[in-house]
Amino acid sequence: MKVSMIFEIVLFVVLIAFQTTIFSRISVFGVATPILYVYFLIKLPIGRNVFYVITSGFLMGLIIDIFLNTPGMNAAATTIIAALRKPLLNVFFSRDDYEEFVPSIYSSTKSFVRFVIIITIMHQTLLFFIEAFTFFNLSYTIVRIFASSALTLVTIFALDGLMYRKSSGIQA
Amino acid sequence: MRNFIDFLIKKSSWIWAILLTVVSLYLVFTQNSYQRSVYLTSANRVTGEIYKFSNQIESYIHMQRNNRQLLEENARLHNEVETLKSVLTGFATDSIYYGHAFANDTARPPQFDFIPATVVNKSISGVNNFLTLDKGLLDGVKSDMGVISQTGIVGVIFNVSDHFSVVIPVVNPKFRVSAKIKNSENSGSLGWSGPELNIAQLEQLPKHEPFRSGDTVVTSYSRIFPKDLVIGYTVSVAKSKDDNFNSFNIELASDFHSLQHVMIIRDRFFDEQRKLEESISIP
Repeated sequence: MKVSMIFEIVLFVVLIAFQTTIFSRISVFGVATPILYVYFLIKLPIGRNVFYVITSGFLMGLIIDIFLNTPGMNAAATTIIAALRKPLLNVFFSRDDYEEFVPSIYSSTKSFVRFVIIITIMHQTLLFFIEAFTFFNLSYTIVRIFASSALTLVTIFALDGLMYRKSSGIQA
Repeated sequence: MRNFIDFLIKKSSWIWAILLTVVSLYLVFTQNSYQRSVYLTSANRVTGEIYKFSNQIESYIHMQRNNRQLLEENARLHNEVETLKSVLTGFATDSIYYGHAFANDTARPPQFDFIPATVVNKSISGVNNFLTLDKGLLDGVKSDMGVISQTGIVGVIFNVSDHFSVVIPVVNPKFRVSAKIKNSENSGSLGWSGPELNIAQLEQLPKHEPFRSGDTVVTSYSRIFPKDLVIGYTVSVAKSKDDNFNSFNIELASDFHSLQHVMIIRDRFFDEQRKLEESISIP
């Protein structure tokens, strides 16, 4: 329990650091930006308290907003995703899964992939629509959502593939 | 009543989520546009220091190119010194004493001076583009000062803390500047509406303004920038929103991808000019 807590805090800090200094500066063909910090919400244990999930999602979004000068945008999108995480988990994972079970690509590949795809696309849709509220046309926003989601998904799966092996002792 | 309380307890996580979402949306609609909060932007001390550190690493990657640019700049200045020297010698050998002609002029300090600064963070991947510089209030930076690079204009200071400042660059939809084509007297309005990072639009030019590819676009009457600073070069005719005006696509002279060193323009008479102009508009 304690070890997994430390793992979560490290993940929280590392994701924010990488998102703000590296990932948010990437812009492939001017449309695709990996938005990876949502990985934190994916990696929380299934049975984690809903308040804890929502509050940490909000804080994560807010800190990223402060770094990226977009007050509220990431915070709003991430809070909504954090709130919808529980119902989504109930759809993809069976209820008798162990409380401390952490979804990962090796343990439950099929449901994990579906869960990540849904959560990422929803997050980016919210984010880009909040951002595009006044500027730009619809088609450009939609292209950005799909391009960024695709890039983010590839990165998340790659990262998860690497993470599990390195920290299998901690998470199991 | 009891049912209601039960309902609240049962749905409390959703209520908490909605509350936090409302807080964030409140931030979106109040902070983003015009509220100049230092605490919630990268101009604040903590985020600024972190970006400064990551920029130190990043600047190694761009070192070679920047070095070359500095050398070129050095060479250009060197040439200028030589040219001026020769002019000066010409004056000296002239039998007429020229000191009188400049006596009044030299008493007045130059209108503009420059504060060199380094870009410590930039976000240029989306719509809300901005730059963070490592100079702030303590270095004499104030909001609404212009920022230029070696090749062209960069943006306007938007928000300042003690040690850092945030710039709204040309490539942000909020940025607008009055511009004209060099050797023409007709001013238009230059703005950026994306998505390409190096193409901006010069709008509201008169219909009879001819288009020639490669023309230099410079600043015209602006309170923030001196006259005739290079902004970019014309590339094509853009689709105009209004039939009465022409619009051109402009390739920006500043390369925002590799931007590292900039100059902040300090206008000695900025406040004086503004005061004078405001005295007209306020009855």
